[in-house]
This record gives sequence, structure tokens and C-alpha cells, in this order.
Amino acid sequence: NTHLQPAFEASPRSAEDARRLWSHYESLTRDLSLSLTEQLRLILAPTLATKMRGDFRTGKRLNIKRIIPYIASQYKRDKIWMRRSSPSKRNYQIMLAVDDSKSMGESGSGQLAFETLALVSQSLSMLEVGDICVLGFGNEVHVAHEFDKTFSSEAGAQIFQHFGFQQTKTNVRKLVADSITLFREARRKVFNAGAELWQLELIISDGVCEDHETIRRLVRQAQEERIMIVFVIVDALLKGESIMDMKQAVFEPDVIGETKLKIKRYLDGFPFAYYLVVGDVRDLPGVLAQALRQWFAEVVESG
Amino acid sequence: MATETIIASANGMATPDPPSQVRVQLSTRHPDISLPENPGPILVNTNLRRYALSTLVNTLLQSEKPIPFEFLINGTFLRTSLDEYLTANGISAETTLAVEYVRAIIPPLYLASF
Ligand SMILES: [Mg+2]
Repeated sequence: NTHLQPAFEASPRSAEDARRLWSHYESLTRDLSLSLTEQLRLILAPTLATKMRGDFRTGKRLNIKRIIPYIASQYKRDKIWMRRSSPSKRNYQIMLAVDDSKSMGESGSGQLAFETLALVSQSLSMLEVGDICVLGFGNEVHVAHEFDKTFSSEAGAQIFQHFGFQQTKTNVRKLVADSITLFREARRKVFNAGAELWQLELIISDGVCEDHETIRRLVRQAQEERIMIVFVIVDALLKGESIMDMKQAVFEPDVIGETKLKIKRYLDGFPFAYYLVVGDVRDLPGVLAQALRQWFAEVVESG
Repeated sequence: MATETIIASANGMATPDPPSQVRVQLSTRHPDISLPENPGPILVNTNLRRYALSTLVNTLLQSEKPIPFEFLINGTFLRTSLDEYLTANGISAETTLAVEYVRAIIPPLYLASF
């Protein structure tokens, strides 16, 4: 479909316009972002807490597992104490990918996406837990804010300059593929990364995308590389049309190989394991914190 | 595009472009063939033509004997696939297409003179 021309030339917003927009959304979501920051702090706190570990001759607490070998060895193997180890440092790399396609503008989801972007990026930068990167996607994927750049109001305004919601395709497949590549690069740049680097992507979109099969495979690949993807569906509910009710008509072969029409619920085939539907930005801190809490719990358990 | 190819080949995946999709909102002016409830926008592949859309409406109507339908978009009859229609009219698949349906005029040969 390369011959499809955008109705408007993808117009970068003027710097002044973007700055005005950013300060509008920044003040609109200030209280909410404080609330999200507090919730995230609580989620992150246990993982940053110190642990008792090790085999030492002196220490704070006995290591029960070492007692029997200690007696059996005629009290020679005496490294039976645990000490409080220094807090385990974790690095986070968090990517916010915002849908810049036309459907976002038409459904009125664009506003909700801006609110979400302002809310989440402010919270994450207040937390100071790691690097933030912002992407825009549609026909193409572009980086609106790089991992190694500091986040600020000025940076926020610059990010808004990249979004016009005029792109004529929503290539989520390309987004996930490119994200994996960007995360690999970012991981390579972190000194002594290893298992302590946690990578998270939040996709903010109206959720209408195609090629679910390929996307599902890419999401699995991301998971294997310890990249967590949470899909935040901003559902503007314009004209009473919610993505929750949207249907999909597909012609596919039945058991005897005859092509039959099937009408399914769109979200039943949605390729992302973790997704949330948000109709109002005020619900976001709650649901997002819940999803992240689940994710951190899983990572802590598996690590 | 290059990154995508690298990742895809690493997985041994083929990367043919899948058919794109578009949301259609079906409606009619004729009460006898109107849908029992508004289905809202339905996501369909853009390679669909009149016949497939006719099957869709009949399925939604739960009609015992299929009724042949014709489809109007922006006042003109759909004579191609949706994809060709979108391309010819410079419409992106990001929009919800308003599609009106009417009973097909029989015999279909007559339609050739449209
Ligand atoms: Mg879109």
C-alpha cells in the first residue's frame, strides 16, 4: 500500500505549539502522576531492599543450612553466618511507544494518549529508577526521546513535537521488531548489565492492528529476551464504540476445509498477553500499577 | 525494514505482507433488511469484495436464504475489492468506512450498464 498517500504531509508540530500542549497535559496529570509515582515506589521498594546472604565467619544471623555440616566437620567449616548484603542495584530501561496513526486522531484517542504519555513519563522520571525512551509508530517507527537523554519538561515538549496522529498505517509488527532491536542495543550499552537490567515497554494505542500471528511470535521472542511488553489500549469510547465490543469478520477454512465466515470478538485474538483497556486517564495509575506489580512479582520469582 | 528482516530471518519466518484490515460500519435505509442490532464497526480484510460482504450481511441477518446485496461507499457502488476502492479514493484504512447495503438488482447483467 505504498501508493496510499497521507491526507496531510506528516507535519511536525511547531516547537511553540508542542511546549504549550506539554504544559497543558503536564498540569492536567500532575496529581495523577504523583499518585502513580507513589504506587510504583511501593512496587519497586521490596526489590531494592537488602537481603541477608552469604557464608561468613561472623555476621548477623545464622545460616541454618550450614549448621549440620559445621558440627559434622568437627566445627571446622565455620562459615555459618549471614550478613546483610549491600542493596542489589537494578537498572530499568523503560520504553514508551505511542501510536501516531490516524485512527488515534479520528477516534479521539490522541488526547488520551497525550495524557497517558505525560502521566507515565513524569512518574517514571520522578522515580529516577532508570532510563526512559519514547517511540512513535505508525507506518514507521521513530525515536522521539532516546534512552541516554535526561527527561525534563523541555524534553517532554520536544517529544510532543513528534506526534500529529496522521500516519496512514498502524504497523505494530514493525514496532515490536524494532523495539527488540533497540532494547538489545540499549542492553549492550549498560555496563555490567546481566540479569539486573530490567526492560519494560509500554505501548499506548487504540489497539487496532493487524497480523496478530506474527506479532504473537515477536512478543514471545521479546519475552525470551526478558523484555516485558504491556499494551495500554486507550479506548476513547467515541460514538459509544468501544474496542471491548468490536467484532472481526474472518473467512477461514472449517474442519472439512471449506471456507466459512466467522465473526469473532476482536480482543479474543489480541496478540499481547498483558493488556489493559483504559477509557479515562484517571483509571490509569491504578490499572498500570496493578499490571506492573504483577510483572515485578513474576520477575522476582523467576530471578 | 532492515531490522525487521534480520529478526524475521533469525526466526526462520516468512515476511509476506498480510492483507490489511479496515473497520466497516454497515447500514441500510430499508427496514426489511436492516440488522436486528447495530453491530458497531467490524474489522474485515481489505481484500474483500461484494460477494464476501454480502455473506457477512447475510450472516448478521441470520437469513435462511441468502439475499444478494450491493454495497455503496460515499454514494458509489463497490465494484472492486475494498483495498482497490480505498486506494482509488485516497482513503486510508485507519478510518471507519461507512458502508451502505441494498438488495442487488436482478438480473446482475443489468448492472453492467451502470
Ligand atoms: Mg491506527
